[in-house]
Amino acid sequence: MTLTAGASRLYRKNLVLTLLCGLWVALALTLLIGQPSILSGATLTSILQFATLLALVSLGQALVVLAGGAGIDLSVGGNVSLSAIAGVMALQAGVPAVLLPVVCLLCGFLLGAVNGLLIAKLKIYPLIVTLGTFYAYSGLALSLTGGAAQSGVPAWVLPWGRGVLGDIPLPFLTLVIPAFLIAALLLSFTSWGRWIYAMGFNEHSARLVGIPVDRARILLYSLCGMLAGGAGFVSLSWLGSGRPNAGVNLELESLTAALLGGVAIFGGKGGVAGVFAAVLLLVTLKTSMLQFGINTVWQVGVVGLLLIAVLLADRLSKTRS
Amino acid sequence: MATSFTPALKFSGRELTLACVCLVAIVIFSLASPYFATLDNLTTVLRNSTELLLIGLGMTLLLAMGGVDVSVGVVMGLAAIVIGQLLNAGVSPGLTALSGPLVGAVIGVISALVVVVGRIPAIVGTLGLYGVYRTAVFALLGGQWLSGLPDSLTQLVSAPLLGLPITVWVIALAYGLVWLALRRTPYGLHLLAIGNSEDKARLSGIAVTRVRFATFIISGLLCGLAATFYVGTYRNVEMTIGSQLALEAIAAVVLGGTGIMGGHCSLLGTVLGVFLLRILQNGLLLIGVPSLWQTVVTGGLLLLVLTAEVLSGRLRIHNMNLRKNRLKGEGTA
Repeated sequence: MTLTAGASRLYRKNLVLTLLCGLWVALALTLLIGQPSILSGATLTSILQFATLLALVSLGQALVVLAGGAGIDLSVGGNVSLSAIAGVMALQAGVPAVLLPVVCLLCGFLLGAVNGLLIAKLKIYPLIVTLGTFYAYSGLALSLTGGAAQSGVPAWVLPWGRGVLGDIPLPFLTLVIPAFLIAALLLSFTSWGRWIYAMGFNEHSARLVGIPVDRARILLYSLCGMLAGGAGFVSLSWLGSGRPNAGVNLELESLTAALLGGVAIFGGKGGVAGVFAAVLLLVTLKTSMLQFGINTVWQVGVVGLLLIAVLLADRLSKTRS
Repeated sequence: MATSFTPALKFSGRELTLACVCLVAIVIFSLASPYFATLDNLTTVLRNSTELLLIGLGMTLLLAMGGVDVSVGVVMGLAAIVIGQLLNAGVSPGLTALSGPLVGAVIGVISALVVVVGRIPAIVGTLGLYGVYRTAVFALLGGQWLSGLPDSLTQLVSAPLLGLPITVWVIALAYGLVWLALRRTPYGLHLLAIGNSEDKARLSGIAVTRVRFATFIISGLLCGLAATFYVGTYRNVEMTIGSQLALEAIAAVVLGGTGIMGGHCSLLGTVLGVFLLRILQNGLLLIGVPSLWQTVVTGGLLLLVLTAEVLSGRLRIHNMNLRKNRLKGEGTA
């Protein structure tokens, strides 16, 4: 088989992946020609630092979408903000500082479990549930703090949150990479992972063969919430304060990353490696927009356009086959 | 799960419950705050409901069709910017007022092209469009508010007609037209059929694409109309315009009993849902709850109602099964 035949087969098989590679190449070329100075270790560090939050949230989002049942979690951004705020407020209320990560993760887990219970037990449409919790969580984060950043993050987390090993930020190295590795292993090599694909591919059959679909779904939404809580903790240790707007726009960006990474919107197809690549692409895109002096308000528009483009491309590749 | 054809304007149990809840809220807030039950304040509540009533009407159609649009608030914002700039340019208020719905309808066409023709799930498609429109609002405003607009449009929309402000007539006309379209034209039947099952609707020969396309345009048009009243009333356009409207519209419509999975709708329910939301927001503000809590209340209310609905539905089915079993027991005895 020649290389071109292989490439064209890959193109036909997965238009989205091709689009992703194309975008990467285009972006790299633009950077090389327009701003060669951007290609430095410091830029890599800052890109990976921004990518840490998005990567954790996108991983959860990808798992939820993958499991099907019109799965979607619009509340992740609100969850990140509220978990971060909850962590700081717990410390202010006298919880020992050592427990900060536990509080954030637990809060995220519980907020995700609320989504999961409403969706799997009460059978309410995920879109509506998470839209409601999105406003409830982000509204709570704002109203509990009055919109002001909360100080009181213990000093011991800052060296971790801002530290680097080589040019790679520590949170990225110690949280994101293990999380993606574990997720990839779980999805490919455990029955639990195969259940997720099965219920995303055909929920009815999954139930018939005895997969505990509801339990798995509740756990997935909780896991997605816990990853958002982890992102909240990272935001604390990186920014040094609890900001009620830490998770703004993350729902849009994580959904874009998940779909850009090849997860099918109706579930059952995709993997976490693509999501990882898509996160890096998105953050690189945003960072280079900044480097070219484009106002940050354009970022949300570009992400939105990308989301639409990727879905249209996916649709196109389906009609062709 | 949805009933096949619920009359769009029948006073059913849901509307009655909602009306009672509105009344109870009014009574409680009147007792709690001396300022609530004043004519001034109640007029304000009605006034604040204008945009949500119009946008909620479009959202009712979308949800009944099994669709959704989370970009409605920003669409209103875009139309409001055009209106504001026309006003600043000295265009006559009549033409300016019409430009709102026109711009809204044009944006509706764009949304429909993406969601309907591009066949992207409505929620994801409109979420993407939300980002694009939001950036467009920022870019068009160029970082500063449109404020202190001429009051020619204000005079037009607040002019009394037969003793009531023109706003009231326009809203009544919009609801009347939509009601007629739902009850007296094939459009309504087709819309609800698509909401029930798009595949079956397609198989039975309904022009699904055309109906869905039209509904997105109608919703856009209503958002534009809302923009006309928004600019007419406040005479400014701020950066964050309409950021809460999508959630509020969905919450009001779901509160009103329109099924979120499509297939049936209630216009009266939407009106009552909007009023309940606005009464709660106004009343809570008056008894001293900071306005930052409004999103929490709206989101919480939406979840609460849905939960209650599902649980009460389960209870009903459970009771039905019990009765059936009892009858069966008697039959065999």
